[in-house]
Amino acid sequence: MPLHDVGYRSWSSSRCGPAMTVWVIALTGIRLAWESRWLRRLVFFAWSPALLFAASFFAFEQAIDDGRLVTLGEKAEGGRNIDGVGMLGTVLADALGGDPNEVDIKATRRLVWTRLLLAFMRAPQAILLAAVVGLVAPTLISRDLRAKAWLVYFTRPVGRTEYILGKSVILLLLVLVITMLPALALWLIGVLVSPSIAVAWETWDLPVRAVIASLLLAVPTVLLALAYSSMTAESRIASFAWFATWVACWIAHTALTTADFVASSRQREAAVARGAASLQRPQRRRDEAAAGPLRGQFKWLARAAGIDTKLDRWAWISPYHALGAVQAAIFGIERRPAAWLPAAVALVSLTVGSLLVLAWRVTAPAQA
Amino acid sequence: MLRDSFRRVSPRPLMPASTDPIPVRLTDVVKRYGRRTVLDGVSIEVTPGITGLVGPNGAGKSTLVRAILGLVKLVGGEARVFGHDPYRHPRQVREMVGVVPEDECSVPGLSGVEMVRYAARLSGLPATEALRRSHEVLDWCDAGQERYRPVETLSVGTRQKVSFAAAIVHDPALIILDEPTNGLDPIERRAMLGRLTRLARNHGKTIFVSTHVLPDVQAICDRVILLARGRVRLAGGIAELTRPARPAHHLAGSGPLDRLADALTAAGLPASVTAGETGPLIELASPRPEQLAAIWSAARQTGVAIRSLAPASRPLEEIFVQTLRQAEQPVTGAAFPAAGGSHAPA
Repeated sequence: MPLHDVGYRSWSSSRCGPAMTVWVIALTGIRLAWESRWLRRLVFFAWSPALLFAASFFAFEQAIDDGRLVTLGEKAEGGRNIDGVGMLGTVLADALGGDPNEVDIKATRRLVWTRLLLAFMRAPQAILLAAVVGLVAPTLISRDLRAKAWLVYFTRPVGRTEYILGKSVILLLLVLVITMLPALALWLIGVLVSPSIAVAWETWDLPVRAVIASLLLAVPTVLLALAYSSMTAESRIASFAWFATWVACWIAHTALTTADFVASSRQREAAVARGAASLQRPQRRRDEAAAGPLRGQFKWLARAAGIDTKLDRWAWISPYHALGAVQAAIFGIERRPAAWLPAAVALVSLTVGSLLVLAWRVTAPAQA
Repeated sequence: MLRDSFRRVSPRPLMPASTDPIPVRLTDVVKRYGRRTVLDGVSIEVTPGITGLVGPNGAGKSTLVRAILGLVKLVGGEARVFGHDPYRHPRQVREMVGVVPEDECSVPGLSGVEMVRYAARLSGLPATEALRRSHEVLDWCDAGQERYRPVETLSVGTRQKVSFAAAIVHDPALIILDEPTNGLDPIERRAMLGRLTRLARNHGKTIFVSTHVLPDVQAICDRVILLARGRVRLAGGIAELTRPARPAHHLAGSGPLDRLADALTAAGLPASVTAGETGPLIELASPRPEQLAAIWSAARQTGVAIRSLAPASRPLEEIFVQTLRQAEQPVTGAAFPAAGGSHAPA
C-alpha cells in the first residue's frame, strides 16, 4: 500500500462554473500545443516583421523631429528605399501626395501610421497566421476524435459550447499573440519615439482599430480551421484542407482578377481599333493616379497598405483578400461599401458555416 | 454573468432533482439509428449498490449507457437520472456521474496524473483541489509512479487505473463502468472488483457495470440486467436468479464421494454426485441445522474429508445462455418478465 494512501474519501465542495471549463480546455490545449518546437519557432519568427515595421515608425518620427519629412518624402518620391524596408517610402510618398511643402504633420502621421499598421496586419501577419493556425488547429479536434478523447469531455459536465469555445480560445490566443500584440506594440513604439506624448491622444483610435482588425482576422480563420479539424480523425487531411483553401482561393482570386484585367485590356484595344482611344486615355490616367506612386518591387506593399485603390471585386472569393478588404474598412482607409461589403458577407457566411459544421460534428461521435 | 460563470458555485447541482430513491430509472426507452432499433422499450431501474448489465455484442448496452448520460436523443420513453432528464439537463446529470468507458480514451500528451487532474478540472474542481484529489484517488487505485508517464505509453492495467481514477475523482454518486476488468491480470482484476465493492458498500455509491465477464457480475453485483436485441430479457437480484429450483447445498471434499452420497441418502438427506467447476461434488437437499452432525458423522464413516459445504447456486452463465436461447425463439410476453422485478427465466 502506498505511503500516502488515505483510502477513498468523499469530496464535497463548491465547483467552478462553465467559463472555467472553457479556460481549462484552452490552457491545457495551449500547453500541449506549445510543446511543439515548430510552433515556438514560428511564434517567435512571427514577431520579426514587427521589428522591421518598428524601424519604419522610428524613421518617420525621426524625420518629423529633425524637420526632414519633406526631404524624406522627396527621396521616397524618387523611389529610394528610405527605411530599409521599403514600406515607409511607399506609404510616405503617397501620404505627402500633392505639394510637399505644405505638410500637415498630424494628418500625415495618422495616414502613415494607419497604413503601416494595416500593411503589417495584412502582409506578414495574415500569412503567418495561416501558418500558425495550420500548424495547431488540425490536431485540436481530430486528435480527440482519433484518441476517443471526446468521451473525456462529454461524459463530464462539459457542453458542446464550452468544448468549441475552449478549442477556439486556444487558437484565438495564439493568433492574437502574433497579430494584436505586435500591432499594439507598434503603436506604443510609435508613441514613444514621437516628439510628444500627445500623439497618443491624437491616435487613440488606432489601437482600438488594431484590436478589432485582429479579432476579425482571428475569428473566421479559427472557426474554419476547427471545422476542418472536426471533419476528420486524420489531422493531415485537415492540414491539407486548410492550406489548400488558402492557396486555391488565392489562385482563384488571381485568375479572376487577371481575367478582368485581360478583358478590360481587350476592350481598350477594341476601342482603340474603333478610333476611340482618345476617350479611353483619360480613364487610364485616372486609374494610374488612383493607384498612387507605385514603384516596382513595393507594389505589393502598397496594395497591402491600401494605397492601391482599384476596386477588387473578387476579394470575397479568397479569405486572404476578403480579410484585407474588411480590415481596410476597419482602419478607415476603404470607405466604399462595394469594396468591403461583399467580403464582409463572405466572411460572415464562412463563420456561420464553420460554426454549423462544428456544432454538427462535435456531437456526431456521441450520437453514432 | 461572466463572473458567475467563472466563480465557484455551490454544490447545488449535485442535489437530486427529486426525492426519487432510484438513481436511474428508464421507462419504455426506444432508440433507433435509421431503421435499426437499438433499444426497444427498455425499462430498468438501477438502485443503490452494484448492478450488472450483461448481454451479447450488439445488444444495445453502450447505447443504454449513452442514454443514461444524455448523449443520445431517445425516440420514445423517458430517462431519469437522479430525477433529471439526462438529455435536457446533461450538466446536472454528469456532475453526479463518473464514467469508465470501454474504449481507451485519453488526451495524448498528458501524463496519468495530469489526465486525472484534467478530468477533475472539467468536472468543476478548483485547481489545487483537483491536483490533491487526483493524487489521492491514484494512490487509492495503486497507480504508483507510473502516474507520471504519458498516458499513451502506460500499460493496459495502469491505463485502466487512470481511467477509473478520472471517473471517481469528483466523487460521483453514480459510477458507470464499461468492461472495467478488460485486459487486467487476475490480481489487478480482483483489486478492481474490490474497489468497486468498497465504493458501493462503504461509500454508498451506485455502480452500474456493463460487462461480458459473468463471474465478475456474480462476484460483486447485487442485481443483474440482461439485455439482448435491444430488450431487457432478464432483470433481478443475483441471489434470487442463481437460486436453484429446490433448496440444495453443495458439498466438496476428497475421498469416496459416491459412498458418502449413499450414506447421506440413507440418513434422510437425498444426495447425488454431480460435476462441479473444480471437480466432482455432492449435491444434497439443504440440511436443517440438526442434520449437520449426521453429515459430519457420515463423512467420518466413509473417509471423506469435507472441504466445503455451501448453499448451491446456479451459475450465471447457465442462466445467461438459457435466456439468450429463449430470446432467439419467438418471444412471448410471459417468457420475459418486465424489468425491475425479480424473475428467473421460464
